[in-house]
Amino acid sequence: MRRYWRIFREFFRTCLVEELEYRSEFVGNLLSSLFGIGIAILTIHIFFYQTNELGGWVYEDVLLLLGVFNTLQGFIDFALRPNMSRLLQHIRKGTFDYVLTKPVDSMFYVSFRHLVFWRLIDVLLGIALVLYALVQKQYIPSMADVLIFCVTICSSLVIIYSLWMLLMTTAFWVIRMDDLSFVFNSFFETTRFPIGMYRGWLRIVLTYVLPAAFITSTPALALLGKWDITAAAASILVAGLFLWLSRRFWRYALRSYTSASS
Amino acid sequence: MLHKYVVLLRMKYVEMFAYQLATIVWMTGAMVQPLITMLVWMNIYPEQEEAFIFYFAVLIFVERMTSAWDVWELEREIREGTFSYQIVRPFHPIHWAIAENFVYKALFFVILLPVWGILAVFVPALRFQLSTLQVLLFLAALIVAAAIRFLFSYSFGLLGFWITKVTAVYGMFEAISLFLSGRIAPLSLLPPLIQKISLYLPFRYMIGFPIEIVTGSIQGTAVMYGFVGAMSWLLFFMIVLSLLWKAGLKKNQAVGG
Repeated sequence: MRRYWRIFREFFRTCLVEELEYRSEFVGNLLSSLFGIGIAILTIHIFFYQTNELGGWVYEDVLLLLGVFNTLQGFIDFALRPNMSRLLQHIRKGTFDYVLTKPVDSMFYVSFRHLVFWRLIDVLLGIALVLYALVQKQYIPSMADVLIFCVTICSSLVIIYSLWMLLMTTAFWVIRMDDLSFVFNSFFETTRFPIGMYRGWLRIVLTYVLPAAFITSTPALALLGKWDITAAAASILVAGLFLWLSRRFWRYALRSYTSASS
Repeated sequence: MLHKYVVLLRMKYVEMFAYQLATIVWMTGAMVQPLITMLVWMNIYPEQEEAFIFYFAVLIFVERMTSAWDVWELEREIREGTFSYQIVRPFHPIHWAIAENFVYKALFFVILLPVWGILAVFVPALRFQLSTLQVLLFLAALIVAAAIRFLFSYSFGLLGFWITKVTAVYGMFEAISLFLSGRIAPLSLLPPLIQKISLYLPFRYMIGFPIEIVTGSIQGTAVMYGFVGAMSWLLFFMIVLSLLWKAGLKKNQAVGG
């Protein structure tokens, strides 16, 4: 574990050095992030121009949810997305062999080798939005709220990572599938709004099959002091389950991998 | 001219089948966001569920029929220098783009009609009764909308002669147009000020206007004014494009050997 932490720090350092070569792009990236979150807030404004609650959530709650969503999206774009195209390339060109021969876990390596730092702006903006929503609502979370929030947000990160890896691993079979991330985005979009908004079978699917409910709604509710211990426990359980699944699937894929070329 | 177009169309038709998977993704793509938006509205106004299902189904259809991807193609071609090959041809490169748009959209049209028919059997909200006039007006508005969006995208692509990262700026316009074109909400649900602004900007005529004709939310003179607006913007972008084209050719410096 210690060793992996050290390797991760090394990835972190090299990517940072690499990125500092393109410092001039920073302002543009900052602007585009600000613009993105601005548009998202405006969209919620449009909805709340016609209503004062969405699936049982008031305006400030939905704003906080959007903050959580933006933070998680920032993490995805920071650590996961930059690696996807590289894995596809590795498999297509056969350079994945080199990854396999490295003395680190291959799943770890392909997930975190490349990091795009400026995406952390989205994380910061998301956190800022969460704080703003709390101020607007004039609610100060208790220690227990914050604790449950931290636990459930960790679960959502694990769930996101596992789902992402499950999808990415299919690249071993569907090699020309450049649009894998598109599939993920479509799913992730559903977490932008409170789970209470979905009804009938769709809600069941988004809670039990594809755990969208645990990704944003559960942590957001925790911070608003509306957590219940069963949901928190369930989110840990689901996270563990999906991590195990993605790990199993990765191992299975490796066994059937037969390099490219000749 | 006609003969050239027949050749172009055939070429693009073959090309499309060479990239089957990409074509399918393009067709089914971008459906999730409108569907989620639809769910939001169905939540806000449960009593108008049917109307929202119909609105957003038409929206998905119109959005696909008018979608424009030329700005990405042009940006890449200008950046990599391959656009030079197109410029030296004796036939304006825009005709290739037009042919491509035509082939993809015609195919999508042919596929989507029966899909709509089958869905309508199960989803009553998708059944509609339209007068012949309405259908004709819708088709006319749809074609104009596709043309405006195409010209907008192509003009933006030509800006690549002067600035890099054209697609980033284009993305910002797309995001703003979410509100003004009726994609986030039917225009009638927006605050009055935004509604008014949307009438004077091109975005409504790229998507919202044809939908409004079909849902019957505008009638009579409003439709007429709509066409005046749409045609003005069409003309405007035609002029802009030809000016950009002339200026761009002078400016163009190809990359690479």
